[in-house]
This record gives sequence, C-alpha cells and structure tokens, in this order.
Amino acid sequence: MPLTKQDVAGIAEYARIALSDAELDEMTDYMNDAIELLDPLLEYDLDGVEPTFHPIGELVNVTRDDVVTAGLSLDEALANASNVRDRAFRVPAILSGGDES
Amino acid sequence: MTSVDALSARQIAAGIAAGEFSATEVARAALDAIASRDNQTRAFLQVSEDLALTAAARTDAARAAGEALPPLAGVPVAFKDNMNLLGTRTTCASRMLESYESAYTATCVQRMLDAGATPLGKLNMDEFAFGSTTDSSAFHPSNNPWDIACVPGGSSGGSAAAVAAGEVTIALGSDTGGSIRQPASLCGVVGMKPTYGAVSRYGVVAFGSSLDQAGPLGRRVEDVALAMNALTAGGRDPCDSTSRHCEQDFLAHLDDPIEGRTVGIIPALLQADGLAPEVRVATQAAATQLADAGAHIVEVDLPNMANSISAYYVLASCEAFSNLARFDGVRYGYQEPGCATLAEQSSLSRAHGFGPEAKRRQMLGAYLLSSGVYERYYLAAQKVRTLITRDYQQAFAQADVLLMPVSPTVAWPHGAISDPAALYLADVYTISNNIAGNCGISVPVCLGADSELPIGVQLQGPAFADARLLTFARALERACQMEGAVAPSFAGRGGELR
Repeated sequence: MPLTKQDVAGIAEYARIALSDAELDEMTDYMNDAIELLDPLLEYDLDGVEPTFHPIGELVNVTRDDVVTAGLSLDEALANASNVRDRAFRVPAILSGGDES
Repeated sequence: MTSVDALSARQIAAGIAAGEFSATEVARAALDAIASRDNQTRAFLQVSEDLALTAAARTDAARAAGEALPPLAGVPVAFKDNMNLLGTRTTCASRMLESYESAYTATCVQRMLDAGATPLGKLNMDEFAFGSTTDSSAFHPSNNPWDIACVPGGSSGGSAAAVAAGEVTIALGSDTGGSIRQPASLCGVVGMKPTYGAVSRYGVVAFGSSLDQAGPLGRRVEDVALAMNALTAGGRDPCDSTSRHCEQDFLAHLDDPIEGRTVGIIPALLQADGLAPEVRVATQAAATQLADAGAHIVEVDLPNMANSISAYYVLASCEAFSNLARFDGVRYGYQEPGCATLAEQSSLSRAHGFGPEAKRRQMLGAYLLSSGVYERYYLAAQKVRTLITRDYQQAFAQADVLLMPVSPTVAWPHGAISDPAALYLADVYTISNNIAGNCGISVPVCLGADSELPIGVQLQGPAFADARLLTFARALERACQMEGAVAPSFAGRGGELR
C-alpha cells in the first residue's frame, strides 16, 4: 500500500526535517517511487541466509591500549557552534513552553 | 615551455629533486592552471593558495638542506570537500556546512601531505555525496572538461573534472556506490575505489559507513598507484576501527605481464537494457585488448547483481539517515535563529540546511528503519548482501579480475535526467562492489564512436587485491591511447612551468 501524505508527514517529524505542504506532496511521490525500486528484495526466499552487516565480517572488538591521547581542546570543539555560553553549547528549551536560559 | 599538466606525478617529483624546477614553481603553475581553467570547469569550491605555497616552500627547503624528498614531493593535489583539512572549510557542498572550519585533518589527506604533496584546495561534489552528477552541490554545478555543457558525473565530480582539465595531478574522492569510478569514467581519467578498509575513513564526512571508501583519481595508472602507496603508508589507522593494514608498494607489480591470467566477463551485463551501444562496444574491445595481452577471458555470472540497486538504496539510505542525524545545528552546521524549542531548532535547521536530495535520502532511511518496515526491507537487504558477496566469491574463484562497464552511458547534458529514481538505476555496474567491500577501478579506454566523449571500463578485484587490480589497469592503459590525456580544450592552457 503506498505511503500517504500523512504517513510522510509523520516520518518527517521523526526525522526532524520540517517540510512545507508542497514539499510533502513531492516527497510522497518520491518515497513511493523509491520504495517501488526496492520490490525485488521482497521476491527473495531468504530463510537460512545470514545477514551481512559489514564487509569485514570477521572483524570484532577492535580495541586499543587504555592510554590517554590528545583530543580537541575545548575552544576547538566549540569553534564551529553558532551559540556558545560559559564554555558550553547553548540550546533553546528542551520542553516546549520553557525558558531558554 | 612545459605546462604542469603534461607531467606525471613521478616526473614532477623527480624534476624537483633534480633541480629542474622548484616545488614553488610547480605550485604557482598549478595555481595559474586553476585560475585559467576553473572558471569553465568550476571544479573547485576553495583554492588553498597559502597552504599550497607553504607546503611547496617546505619541500624546497628540504631539498636545499640536502634531505631525501618523499615520493609525491611538490605534486599538486586537491581533495573532495567531504575531507577535513586544517586551514580549509569542509562543506560537503551543503549550506548545512557552508562555514564549517575543519577541526582536524583527515588521515587520507594527511598521508598525501606526508608523502610531500602540495594541497591546492577542496573540490565540488554532490551535496553530502548523494548523487551522480555534482548538480546537487548547494553552491554550483561543475562541468565536464570534455564538454562543459555536460555533467562530470558524481558524486566526486569536482575531483574528476579538476584532474581531467589538468588543474591538479591527483585528486582524492570518495566512493559509496560508484562516486569515484563513475565521474572518472565520464571525465576520461583513472579512478580507483580501494578495498573497504584499505584507506582510513577518519576525517571523511560519513555517508554510508559500511560502504564508504576514499581513493585517488589521476590521469595515469602510475599516478594512482603512487597515491595508493601514500594512502596506505603507515598501515592501519588507529582512528578508524575498520581500517586494515594494507601497506605495500603498488608500483612493484604495475608492469607485470598478465599473460595466462584470467579476466571474467558477465555476458548478461553487456546485454542489459539501457547500456549504450558505444559503451558495450568499448567494453568488448577492452576484453579483446586484454586477451591480446595474453589474458584468458572467461564467462562468469553475478546472478544477484541486478538486484544490488535495491539492496544498496536500503543500506545506503539507512546508514545516511543514521550518520546525518548528527547535523542538528547545535555543535556545528547551520542553526536556524529565533527558535523557541530544541525540536523546532533541529527541524528548521535541517529543513533549511539540507538540499532536496539530502532530505530525500534521509526520509527514505528514516522510513526503512521504522518499526515493522525494518524486517521487510533492511534485514532483507543485509541478507541479499550476503548473496551478492557469495556471487563474487564464486566469480573470483574462476577469474583474477572482472571486466564490465562503469556507467551505462557517457556524460549527459546538465538537467537531462531529472527523476531521482532514474538516476539511481545508472549505478547498476558500480554499487555491488561497495556492497561486497571489494576493490574497483575505472580506466579510460576511448572516446565514444557516437558521442566523442570519454568511456571508461571497470575492473573489479576481490578484497585486498588492489595491487593486482592496478596491474590489469596498467595493461589496459598500455593498450589504449588515453594515458595522461588532458581534455583537449584545456590542455596547456596556463600552468607553464618556466
């Protein structure tokens, strides 16, 4: 069953991408075209086939010695942020209706 | 007068070592070539003149002090703009990262610099590497040097165009589903996607983490092999847990004979709908040339390859959604002003920071990872990935390398294909290689009989057979007339060395 505009609006909310009404129409068409492209996957009988999540299947638990190495300084880490206060990233209220500070 | 575009990487490094010209003269010649050519190719997003002249001065000082020079000493290189380089912005050709200053240097970039290369700047791409035209760059499209009305391919279109127009000797690109090999084919240069894990991904902005691989583009197989030496020097990168030790001398076996070795062809692929006749003819001619060099041609099958597009667009979209979730406007990237809540700030920053294709891919990924849909598509795609990998194992039991087209057509005019799903289908020859984590290379073989535009053919090898792949690529290069070719309307324009 094709996705409806309402379905796509729900996905956009989950993906945190605000879409205008016109964009939602276009996106709905695109999503349904793209999903149709995936149909061949549904024709397989995949019982007993193990999934491959990574091309280096046998590589597990890559670790290193537990030693301190240099990372970004605080100033470097904050340098690309738009809104910084008191050596921290500053964000608006997490809950709606709250105070920004 | 010699233009810098006429020289190979080895000739440039040797000329500097011998005192025929200085690294600073080479850097100035490359800057001059960029100044006189890039207004038409529009391959660059940033030209790093200061970094280039500083690096060149360091090379000249090392020579003056009598030090041995590294193998890429003074060679002009540039980097796809999803690779961090301190002192430049890393924009991914997106408004989202328009003002992002690199916080560190990517390992692949650093290794090119450690090998002595001179960094000329950052190259255009499809936004966040989503695309195969470079038209989705938020800043401007790039043009194919062989016909500037046409796309250079993508997503590493700036990398391929800069090399094809002779603006730099070597460029780095990244390849998630063909994004090095396809633009290399469309622009008539050599483009290599190394084995997954051969080159560190640290500092390359992630698209599909289990598929992405950085690699070199050049006008000669030898230049690409030299770049592979640099990229793998030092072995495994502790900053990328998927990187593997792959250090070796890729030049050592470049001119080995291919007599008695086997090249697999897949007859069904050459009969596929949508394959342009001139590309079919060029691929068949390449098989004949390899046979003339003594290789045995055998027929093999990759039965699940046609469905690799379906698997790829599930895996790549899901991984992209996961990776691009980090762009919320808080720590870096575009931030929408005046928002009352964090949720509103994220949604509007992402809505106004990302272009249409970046939004489409993330929306598709978000849907495919949602509850109930995951099992139907994502898990199925990972299982089909197992089948594709098995197909390759069986094919490589019969053949040393596989030969096939790269792109079903030569370069097309800007805007000629506007349907995103139609563009996805053009990736059919390249994406299964990423799904299996193998190595692949596009080698320019001729100009199309109908179009007079470059055609590349693809060689694919098993994982960590990158040196073998280069041997076959060199054999093909020797048989063709494209080695070192600069697009005719750009060759020798500016860039004089003395």
